Amino acid sequence: MTILDVRGISRRFGGLQALSDVTFSVPKGQIVGLIGPNGAGKTTFFSTLVGLIRPDSGSIQLDGTSVVGQKPHKVAALGMTKTFQNVALFAESSVLDNVLTAGLLRHDVETARREALICLDRVGLKSVAHKLAGNLSFPERARVELARALCTGPKVLLLDEVMAALNPVEMQEIMDLIRSLRDDGITLLVVEHHMRAIMTICDRILVLNFGRLLADGTPEQVANDPVVVEAYLGRSMEAHK
Amino acid sequence: MKRWIAILAAIAIAAVLPLLLSPTGYWIRVLTFTLLFAAMAQVWNIIGGLANQTSLGHAAFFGIGAYTSTILVLKFGISPWIGMFAGGFLGGIAALIIAVPTMRLQGHYFALATLAFGEVMRVIANVWTSLTGGPVGLSVPFVPPSIAAYSFKQLLPHAYIALIALIIVTFIFEAIRRSAMGYRLRAIKENPAAAEVIGIDTTKVKLQTAVISGVLMAMLGTLYAQVAVFFDPDTVFSAASISIRVALIAILGGVGTAIGPILGALFIIPVEELMNDLFSSGAAGLSQLIFGVILIAVILWRPRGFITVFDSLMARFSNKARS
Amino acid sequence: MGGVYAVISIGLTLVYGVMGIVNFAQAEFLMIGMFVSWFAWAYLGLDPVLAAPLSFAVAFGIGWLVQGQLIARVLKAPSVAQIFLTVGLLIVIENGSLLLFGSQFRSVTTSYQTMSLSLGALFISVPYLIAFGMSLACGLALWWFMRTSWFGRAMRATAQNPMAAQLMGIDTALMYKIAFALGVGLTAFGGAVILPYVTVFPGVGGQFVVLMFTVVVLGGLGSVAGAVVGGLAVGVIQALSSLFFPIQLQNLILFIVFIFVLAVRPQGLVGASR
Repeated sequence: MTILDVRGISRRFGGLQALSDVTFSVPKGQIVGLIGPNGAGKTTFFSTLVGLIRPDSGSIQLDGTSVVGQKPHKVAALGMTKTFQNVALFAESSVLDNVLTAGLLRHDVETARREALICLDRVGLKSVAHKLAGNLSFPERARVELARALCTGPKVLLLDEVMAALNPVEMQEIMDLIRSLRDDGITLLVVEHHMRAIMTICDRILVLNFGRLLADGTPEQVANDPVVVEAYLGRSMEAHK
Repeated sequence: MKRWIAILAAIAIAAVLPLLLSPTGYWIRVLTFTLLFAAMAQVWNIIGGLANQTSLGHAAFFGIGAYTSTILVLKFGISPWIGMFAGGFLGGIAALIIAVPTMRLQGHYFALATLAFGEVMRVIANVWTSLTGGPVGLSVPFVPPSIAAYSFKQLLPHAYIALIALIIVTFIFEAIRRSAMGYRLRAIKENPAAAEVIGIDTTKVKLQTAVISGVLMAMLGTLYAQVAVFFDPDTVFSAASISIRVALIAILGGVGTAIGPILGALFIIPVEELMNDLFSSGAAGLSQLIFGVILIAVILWRPRGFITVFDSLMARFSNKARS
Repeated sequence: MGGVYAVISIGLTLVYGVMGIVNFAQAEFLMIGMFVSWFAWAYLGLDPVLAAPLSFAVAFGIGWLVQGQLIARVLKAPSVAQIFLTVGLLIVIENGSLLLFGSQFRSVTTSYQTMSLSLGALFISVPYLIAFGMSLACGLALWWFMRTSWFGRAMRATAQNPMAAQLMGIDTALMYKIAFALGVGLTAFGGAVILPYVTVFPGVGGQFVVLMFTVVVLGGLGSVAGAVVGGLAVGVIQALSSLFFPIQLQNLILFIVFIFVLAVRPQGLVGASR
C-alpha cells in the first residue's frame, strides 16, 4: 500500500533549479534513505514535502490526500513531519515542553505530557527532560528533534541528519530506534551522510544530485550503479584517499 | 500550596486597602487607576508577552470600549454593563481587522503597524463628530447611583471593580499561559517554522491571542470611562499615555509573567501621580522625563524587568535561611 | 515638500539599514535641529537655512553619544528592548526640551518668507524652494559620500554582514556610531531648512513622526534611494489628498497607506522581494 506518492516535483530559486521532476512512491512501512552530495537538494526536498516550500509544479499525495499547497501544520495533522538539520528547538523551553508541544497536535496537555515522556524515553533522553533545550549538546538536541517529531504521531517521518556527530554506540541506538519505529508502522525517509548506517538500515535508497533523482533501488543496486558511483560515491571515495 | 497562600494574602491586602483610604480622597483615585492600569498592562501582556508581538496600538481597543459604552448610555440609555460587552465585541472585531494584515509582521514592523492603527482610530474619533462629539469629547451622563446603572457616589466601588477586573484578567493570562495555547505561543515565539512543522496553526493562534487581548482591552475602556466620567479622543486613543504606557508597565515589571504588570503598575502609576503633584506647577514634563530615564535604565540594566530584582532578593533570602 | 520629507527620512532609513533598529526617537532630532537653528537665528542673527550645518553638527554629536552609550548595548537584545529604548529616548528628549525651552511656539522671520516665484501659472513659495534645494544638495552629498569614500564602503559592508566586515578589519562599533550620528544629523539638518515655514515647539516631532515612517516604509526600510522615492510619493499623496479631503483626514490617508504598505509589501515599494 502506497503511503507517499510524489510526482514531478520541481522548484526553482532564481537561477538555481533546486528540484527538478522528482518522482517516486513509498509503500507503508519502508525505510527509505535519501543521499546525495552537499547541495543536492535533500533538505529543500524535505521542506517541500512538509509544506515549508511550495513546489512550482508536481503533486504530493500522503495516504491518498493531496498535500501540495497545504500549510505545514495541515501536513503535520495529516501525518507527515520532519526534523530540522540545523536543529530548530524551542531553546528557552525545557526538553519536555519541546516534545509536549508537539503532542498537543492530537492530545490535551496532560495526555501530551505522558506521550512526550514516552517519546523522550524512546530516544533515551528521559533523564534530561527538565533541562533547557538550549543547554544540551548538539547530538542530544538532534535527538530531541526526533522525539518532538515523533510526538506529533506521524505516519511518515522525515529525519534530516539526526545521526550527525554521534559516536558508534549512540548511532547504533538511533538505528535500532528507527527500525522499531518502522515496526510500529511508521514510514521513514532518512537523510544521512554516514554511508554505512544508511546502507544498513534502509530498505531502499534514493540518490539526488543537482535536484534530480539519479537512482532508486536497494542499497546493493545503488552502490553498484555506475552513474551513482561517478556522481557521488566516486567523489567521496576520492576525498577519502 | 505556598503560592496559593501568597496569592490569597495579596488579594486580601488589596481588598482591605481601599477601606483604609479616605473614600473621597486623592489616594483612592490613585489606587483605582493603579489597579486599572495593572489590568490593562496584563491584557497587553497576553499579546506582548505570550505571543511576543509588541503592540503599540492597544489604545485603539481601549478607546473603542470607552466610546461604545458611553455612546450607548448617551443615545439609548443602555447600562454601561451591557455597553462593556458591546465594546468588547467591537474591540474584538477591530483586533481582527488589524491582526489579519499584520500577523506576518514581526518586531519593529508589527510595532509600527499597530502604532499607526491606534493613530487611525484617534483621527477617526476626532473627525466623526456626529457620533463621538469630536475633539470636544464626551461626558458620561449622571444617573442616580446604583450598581445596575454602574454609577456610584464615591470612588470606593470603582476601586473594587478595578480590583476584580485585575484579578479576572490575571487569571485569564495564567490560564492561557498554562494551557495548550500557552505552549503553542511559546513555540511560535521561539521558532515559528518549527512550530508549523509540528502541527501548530501559527496564524490562527496569533489571531486568537490578538482578539482576546482586544476584547479585554475594550472592556477595560468602559471601566475607565465610568471612573473618568469625561474623556476625549486624544486621551483614550493616546499613543503615549495609553498604548506605550501599558506596554511600558508590563515591560518594567517583567514581560510575560503574571506578576510583572502588577509590579509595574504599582511602581509607575503612584510615582507618576506623586511627581505630577510635586512638580505640576513648577516644571511641566519633569515627571515624564524621569519616567523616560527610568525606562532607559531598566532596559539597559534589568532587561527582564523588576521581577528579576525580586528574584535575586528571594534567592539571597532563601540562601540565608539555609545557611 | 517631497524632497524635504526625503531628507528627514533618509536619516531614519540609514539607521535601520545599517543597524536593523527602528529609531522611534528620530523625529525628536528634527526638533533638536529646529531649536538649534532657531537659537542661531535669535542670538547670532544667522539665517535658519545657513544654520543647518550647525544643527547637523549638534545632532551628530548627540547621536554619537547616544549610540555609543545606549543603543550599542541593545544591538543584540530582543526587539522589545530596542523598541522601548528608543521610545524612552523619545520621552526623555521631548520632555527635556519642554523643561529647557518651555512649551511656547517659536518661529523665525526671514526676508524671503512670504515671497514666491511664478513659473507660468505655477506659484512656488521661496522658503519651500530653498528647503527643497538644500535637501537635494544634502541628499547628493550623502549619496556621494556613501558611493565614493572608504567610510561609505565600510558602512555598506557593515550593513550587509557585520561579522565579515569585522574580520576585514572594519571597526563595526565605530561604523554604527557614524551611521547613527549621520542619520540623526541629517534629520536635524532637515529640521533647520524647514524652520522658515514651520514653528518649533517641543512636541513638533510628533507631527512629523508618522510622515517620516510612512516615507521610509513606502520606500522600503533601510533603502536610501527608497526614502527619496517614498518622500516624493508622500509629498504627492499629501498634495492630492488636500484636493479631496479636509485637513484632518490627510493624516488618516497617510496612516492607512502606511498600514497597507506594511501589510502587503513590508520590503517597500521599490525594494526587491526576497
